[in-house]
Amino acid sequence: MPGAGGQLPSDDELLRRHVAGDSEAFGELFRRHRDRLWAVALRTVCDPDEAADALQDAMVSAFRRAADFRGDSAVTTWLHRIVVNASLDRLRHKAVHPVTSADDEHALQALAAPDPARASDTRMDVDAALRVLPPQQRAALVLVDMLGFPVADAAAILGISAGTVKSRCARARARLLPYVAHLRGNRSASESVSPAQGGDG
Amino acid sequence: MSHLDADVVAEFRAGLIAGRRGARVAAHLAQCEQCAASGDMLAEVSAALAAVPAPAMPDAVARRLDTVLAAEAARRDYPERADGTPARKRRAEPVPGRLRGMAVRVLAPAAAVVALAGAGYGISQLAGQQPGTKAASSPPTHAAAQSARAGGLAAGTGGNPLRQPQPTFGVADSGTVYQRATILQQLQAALRAPAVPGRFPSAQVRACVRHVTSGAGQVTPLRVETAKFEGQPATVIFAARANGGDEAWVVTGSCSGTSGKVAYTTTLP
Repeated sequence: MPGAGGQLPSDDELLRRHVAGDSEAFGELFRRHRDRLWAVALRTVCDPDEAADALQDAMVSAFRRAADFRGDSAVTTWLHRIVVNASLDRLRHKAVHPVTSADDEHALQALAAPDPARASDTRMDVDAALRVLPPQQRAALVLVDMLGFPVADAAAILGISAGTVKSRCARARARLLPYVAHLRGNRSASESVSPAQGGDG
Repeated sequence: MSHLDADVVAEFRAGLIAGRRGARVAAHLAQCEQCAASGDMLAEVSAALAAVPAPAMPDAVARRLDTVLAAEAARRDYPERADGTPARKRRAEPVPGRLRGMAVRVLAPAAAVVALAGAGYGISQLAGQQPGTKAASSPPTHAAAQSARAGGLAAGTGGNPLRQPQPTFGVADSGTVYQRATILQQLQAALRAPAVPGRFPSAQVRACVRHVTSGAGQVTPLRVETAKFEGQPATVIFAARANGGDEAWVVTGSCSGTSGKVAYTTTLP
């Protein structure tokens, strides 16, 4: 509604303007959400270069296919879906180079080992932990646990049922259990991991 | 008593196991410390992941996306530009992102030669000239424009770009660091920048330029740069097409009359 003076145009309005030929509208829409879209791409593909490629693919695709948006979901859901799909596409095309390389395996074995000396150099290794997950599980877990999307929204983004989202997240969490001490250390790197908790095995 | 699988505990916590089986799992968790502990650790996995701060988009990525978006908008707003480009070239013209991916993957291992042919069409667009004047450019004006953009050696070659008794271009060390994400823009900027006088090209360089540009019809090389591409030594060649239209070639490997593989070619917007 043009009369709503002072208010930012809604996502839907920006998308409509873009389809109608406004050359600024899509940029405004994309900039509004780009940090979150970046986070989704980065956590899903676990590589900044690949994430940039995926996000660029997604942005171009959304720009060109905006007229196909039917309004049966929120614009942000639609944008996220395109980004997730582009990210998973990247991973599929990269399948000849396995996402988990020998180096990653090595790093993860080191992480899983109860070695308190390693508790400090943990921050960058969230990505390493996420890499052990199959891409579909990772995409679900990233949306729900890392980025805080409600299960229903994640389901809409991923184009799967809420039950499947829950199931993928559950299996992903179980798979990350061996790294929980490491992840815990990442949460507050200053707090040292209590040996009583870590030395159970 | 056998313990529960971590998957089962996780699915139970996610509300996926109900009914009689759910009751059994709940009863087990109530009396088995180890399985209850793994349930707590699953909660910690989620909490730890939630606590990881969301990364902000790096500035370089933001700039790159802005550039790509601007190109997309221009493509949509000025479709006649694409229509004016020969079909063969249009097919070769990539989405900017494709350029990036393609160029890098092919070029990274080897020293690269980037050849760029430019002429009145694209340049008039870049300079903000009226769109209508580009078609009306007479050959002498066009040749003069080429000379103005060419390296120092071009000054004496007169107005006929089709006859080339002498090399029309010089070789200079630009030191420009071409980045994969911005190479299109950098090439455009380099083309617009005033040319510096260059060295006389060696026979190998001349042969290389002939070899590289031979498939493109009549072109007039303007200048050659030695530069860097993604940290690798690179050579950049600027030239102009006789019939208008801007075009870029990317060539890998050592470049001579017989070697120099065109890895990429594009028409500049």
